[in-house]
Amino acid sequence: MTVVEDLAVPPRTEVLPRGMGRRERWLRRLPLLPALIYVVVVTQIPFVVTLWYSFQNYFWDQPGGAHFTGLSNYKTVFTSPTFRGSLVRSVVMTVTAVIVAMILGVALAVLLDRKFFGRGVARTLVITPFLVMPAAAALVWAGPMLDPNFGLLNYLLAPFGVHHVAWLSTHALGSVIVVMIWQWTPFMTLIVLAGLQSQPTETLEAAKVDGAGALATFRELTLPHLRPYIELGILLGSIYLVNVFDAVRLMTNGGPGTSTTNLPFYLYQEVNNAFDVGGAAAAGVVTVILTIIVASFALRMFARVFQFEEARA
Amino acid sequence: MANVRYLSATRVFSKGAPPAVDALDLDVKDGEFMVLVGPSGSGKTTALRMLAGLEPIDRGGVEIGERDVTQVPPKDRDIAMVFQNYALYPQKTVAENMGFALKMQHVPRADRDRRVREAARLLDLDEKLLDRKPKQLSGGQRQRVAMGRAIVREPKVFLMDEPLSNLDAKLRVQTRSQIAELQRRLGVTTVYVTHDQVEAMTMGHRVAVLREGRLQQCDTPRQLYDNPVNQFVAGFIGSPAMNLQTVPLTDGGVQLGGTTFPLPAAAGAAAKQAGLKELVIGIRPEHLHLADGSGELRGEVLLVEELGADALLHVRLAGAGDPVVARAEGRRPPAQGQGVTFHVQTDDVFAFHPVTGARLAG
Amino acid sequence: MTSTTARPGPRRVPRWVGNVGWAVLAWAVALAFFTPVLWMAITAFKPESAAETWPPQFIFKPTLAEFRLAITGMGPFLVHSIIATVGSTVLVLLLGVPAAYALSVYPVRAWRDGLFFFISTKMLPIVAVIGPLYVIALHAHLLDSLGLLIILYTAMNLPLAIWMIRSFMLEVPNELLEAARLDGAGRVREMGSVILPVISPGLVSTALICMIFAWNELFLALNLTVTNAATMPMFLISSVPQEGLYIAHLSAAALIASIPVIIIGWLAQRSLVRGLSMGAIK
Repeated sequence: MTVVEDLAVPPRTEVLPRGMGRRERWLRRLPLLPALIYVVVVTQIPFVVTLWYSFQNYFWDQPGGAHFTGLSNYKTVFTSPTFRGSLVRSVVMTVTAVIVAMILGVALAVLLDRKFFGRGVARTLVITPFLVMPAAAALVWAGPMLDPNFGLLNYLLAPFGVHHVAWLSTHALGSVIVVMIWQWTPFMTLIVLAGLQSQPTETLEAAKVDGAGALATFRELTLPHLRPYIELGILLGSIYLVNVFDAVRLMTNGGPGTSTTNLPFYLYQEVNNAFDVGGAAAAGVVTVILTIIVASFALRMFARVFQFEEARA
Repeated sequence: MANVRYLSATRVFSKGAPPAVDALDLDVKDGEFMVLVGPSGSGKTTALRMLAGLEPIDRGGVEIGERDVTQVPPKDRDIAMVFQNYALYPQKTVAENMGFALKMQHVPRADRDRRVREAARLLDLDEKLLDRKPKQLSGGQRQRVAMGRAIVREPKVFLMDEPLSNLDAKLRVQTRSQIAELQRRLGVTTVYVTHDQVEAMTMGHRVAVLREGRLQQCDTPRQLYDNPVNQFVAGFIGSPAMNLQTVPLTDGGVQLGGTTFPLPAAAGAAAKQAGLKELVIGIRPEHLHLADGSGELRGEVLLVEELGADALLHVRLAGAGDPVVARAEGRRPPAQGQGVTFHVQTDDVFAFHPVTGARLAG
Repeated sequence: MTSTTARPGPRRVPRWVGNVGWAVLAWAVALAFFTPVLWMAITAFKPESAAETWPPQFIFKPTLAEFRLAITGMGPFLVHSIIATVGSTVLVLLLGVPAAYALSVYPVRAWRDGLFFFISTKMLPIVAVIGPLYVIALHAHLLDSLGLLIILYTAMNLPLAIWMIRSFMLEVPNELLEAARLDGAGRVREMGSVILPVISPGLVSTALICMIFAWNELFLALNLTVTNAATMPMFLISSVPQEGLYIAHLSAAALIASIPVIIIGWLAQRSLVRGLSMGAIK
């Protein structure tokens, strides 16, 4: 794949001639419709219903069904410290995990880019955390790995003076973030590896002849080249990491207290424990609005990734 | 400013495979423009890369300026290279591309800019282009930036790997002379790789012809043309290519074109000494002179290619054999199907050993 | 004139040392990443008594007892997972290929908006609408049904699938399409006989990734299923008892639940890598 960062290259769109038949235009749109309609129906309808419920007072366990209550649910949400806390925690967890996973990803990609004995097997081992079922990963880390009394980690760290630390009690948030990083670093690694392998060797040789050592070459040539790949990895990774649920639910159940409660878990608790459909709906709507705001910033970066994608064509 | 020496330099890519470059011995004088030419697979690019330090040297060594650089990394060899696809840094501007090596040497910014500007002037690169990125340049401009990047460094040796092959024909001819002129002006030792023998002949002080990793002959273009050392060089240099044919040897000479043709004395003696029954005859198209019926060689015109100033005649000579190509006056060439005769001077005939390809001479 | 040796002299540091050092470092990191998986596998073969010891045991008498325990009752979960995974992936391909086609080969003027829209649906967390989703499913009698899972998993994977398939379609050389058009291929034929065969490795990669995400999905399964459509992640959770020793049992169950995806990921590694990097690494 040759990456052409030239943003002036026109995309592979055919210029539709003027007065092209309406029929032709419709025919071109047709294949898109089934998927479009499907996604709209399945994702937007629940959202509309959520919106409706957010203005209702509706408790699962109370008789009487739903009745209109205006903005009171929203007031509850905005004044709820739990909600605000979970929002902050979501941001902290996502940002930390994405950044660390990307840094590790770049390091691993550099390691795996050079030929060495058994490189294929090493790559297989590195990919595996991504393949493990997140629920399984969460449970295995919670038990066999991090248990204070018989966990592997305490055993491995014992020579360094670490004694039977109860990770999930004292370092709950960190533990959850570590698992998130563990599972998503392979993803970042592969994307960055794609970038490394798409660098033309001639350019690297020219740098060698021009007197650039390994570090200088990496800083001056490789990193700028990797930029669109890194952005792609961060974008996709964030989308998935912000919705992490399994690790929170299965490792700490949001605790101790609410110290590991992120947004998905908070919403889950609202519905399952509080039976407050109206409140959960309002929280959901607020979440969606916040996501849209963040997403529009992200999509601006995304547009650049896009031009990169279409210039590839 | 330095000389370059290859000392039995050898490169083998994989164990057991024939060497890509086989014991190359080559002496490039200080300030000389040396062209490495040969068909693809001849090892010319590999040899250049060995000099650059981009390809390890398995046996033998290489010297730059009387200094053994065989184990020295590229950046310490004081060389600059122009790559076939230019290898410009895509995210850097033209000025940054050209100044990159200087930046790596920690040359202060003011000096860097000055040298970059000088090089740009030398190459006729508009100042406006200095802030553009490579993508925004035309092929010819990119090629000049690649050259500028090399010039700015004021190295001991220039290495060029087929820098003209990505240009269209007209630009190629133009740039060819510009490069030669530039080298004359700067006086820097240059090693230049190409597969195009016209480039080799017109640009080089001396030309080294390579085939399958082995040096065939290293000489001035004139010498290569007049005194090829073997059949391969004879057939490679000169366009259109020399006519080569295997012909039987008799007492009076060789059987060709329906007649017995005498060989130059030295060649004839060598052939007799080697006890050959047949050998390979080489005659350049420009040495087959069209004679009105009085020539020794007879043949029939198969095809006429009119080039304007000349015409190329594809002729089947009497007495079987492959068709030969002859150069004739462009104004009134013979017609297709016409019978023609040619006159050849004895000294213009080359003789080669039918098996080894070596030139038979005294 | 310097003397010239016919052989290269000794280097300051032999080349092979650098290579070995690199390999050691890379392997150390790879093993570090793999250790939790390895530990899970090892623990799965331990008898429960050997699993909760200090220090952790590396030498023990392996047993399949925990596996046997773990497998009991797994059948329905396995079947549900397979149906939901394969079903949703098939639906994703059926909907996604034409959509990707429309967005790549014959782009509509607003193609970019279309792709933006798909990706944006991915950004809106499904968790936000889980409550009303439950209510809707209840009223539509879809609660605890495989159909519901298939519908939702398809919506979950469709945006990524469309992006990936479009990415692969963009790599089909223009000349190929033009030659087909000159040969008189109508759009459907063009798609079928020219594009699909060329991108089939990409389709496999896309299908693999969709299956991985569908198989591993917990949140929706947890909230919307009980028994009739409970999937493997649910099975895994159910193997964590409220009390008593359970570590080896858990590891065995976790291993079983993860093994299909791990094995497929290993075998089809090239395909997976190609998909995750959008077709950049072959």
